[in-house]
Amino acid sequence: MNDANKKDAASQPKGLLPFWPHYVLSELIAWYVILGVLVTLSAILPAGLEDKANPLLTPEHVKPEWYFLSVYQFLKVAAVFSFLGAEAPRLLGVLIPGILLALLFFLPFLDRGPKRPARQRPWMLALVVIVLLVVIALTIWGQYS
Amino acid sequence: MQAVRFNPALWFNAGLDWLDERVGIRELVATLLHVVIPRSAHTYYLGGITLFLFGSQAVTGILLSLYYQPTPESAYNSILYIMNELNFGWLIRSVHAWGANLMIIFCILHLLRVVIQGAYKAPREITWMAGMGLLFVTLGFGFTGYLLPWDQRAYWATTVGTEIAAAVPLIGVNIRDFMRGGADVSALTLSRFLGVHMLILPAALIGLLLVHLFIIHQQGLADPHATEEK
Ligand code: HEM
Repeated sequence: MNDANKKDAASQPKGLLPFWPHYVLSELIAWYVILGVLVTLSAILPAGLEDKANPLLTPEHVKPEWYFLSVYQFLKVAAVFSFLGAEAPRLLGVLIPGILLALLFFLPFLDRGPKRPARQRPWMLALVVIVLLVVIALTIWGQYS
Repeated sequence: MQAVRFNPALWFNAGLDWLDERVGIRELVATLLHVVIPRSAHTYYLGGITLFLFGSQAVTGILLSLYYQPTPESAYNSILYIMNELNFGWLIRSVHAWGANLMIIFCILHLLRVVIQGAYKAPREITWMAGMGLLFVTLGFGFTGYLLPWDQRAYWATTVGTEIAAAVPLIGVNIRDFMRGGADVSALTLSRFLGVHMLILPAALIGLLLVHLFIIHQQGLADPHATEEK
């Protein structure tokens, strides 16, 4: 860093950090670490390949990728809605996750409170924890069922 | 006259001057870089890491596309060739596969930090919605990319994945068949998944990303301790 930059950094109002070069440098370090993680993971566990696709042979444990498992498992669990009618399980099984995602999409319009600090929004923190726990539980359940 | 010596800094400056006279490059770079961010804004670099992973996916993906053959007859064998014979092919494909998973993880972590710090609140609604679009696109990349190796796992994961869409009321079966290009996962499915994976989703991601980053640049990062905005 040259002197001009040092002066720049020192002359910033308190509480503000120059994006260049301070934030950018930390960001680049983070990228470098992630690149190391990528190559290490690839060396330890290279991408796999099963037998060639055979449309006539359904394997035993068919599952979607891990990031769709929670929705997939919810669709199965939705069988409990069968008391609402024969079509209810399939219907609610996609409608409920769909509606929750739509709510998440419009979150800034639903939560209009002006406070940002997490400690002043305990209900939001609680909601985050509950949603996370449910999604993780469904994912694990989906993996082992 | 001064001797011409190799001086990268000088050359670089001369190049900048040349561009500056024509397109005002210095002012542009200054506008992009000389911004300040609140010291209390802890991004944990999650958005930037997601961006880096996208860059890595673009590079490794383009390399894979040079050897990948998108038909049911040859897709599987082209992957075998990449993994077993092509120099460093296994590494490029493995980095692409791990990068896909990490990109989804970091995208979700980034979303969580935005939620926890309340950075989605007004006036950042558009940044948030563009972000949700980016999340959907990222998941779409994973979904369409998974089919391309055309192995048993790919084929059947796509079969059950597209079957989920069939549960949508009224038009569910139509959506499923539209995704598959027919009643079953077939050569047509492979073609359209490849087109979506290599053309549509990259274009969508770049477009949404420009909106996302432009607004972040104009507004600056949210200060977690300030309740009111300018
Ligand atoms: C491909 C995916 C994405 C990329 C590459 C990306 C990139 C970025 C970057 C580089 C920033 C700057 C600050 C930081 O690094 O945290 C940022 C901020 C932000 N992102 Fe994303 N993002 C993505 C997805 C998302 C998602 C899924 C959401 C939420 C739905 C989101 C919402 C936001 C918001 C609200 C900000 C502003 C935060 C603030 O002002 O403090 N982004 N994004």
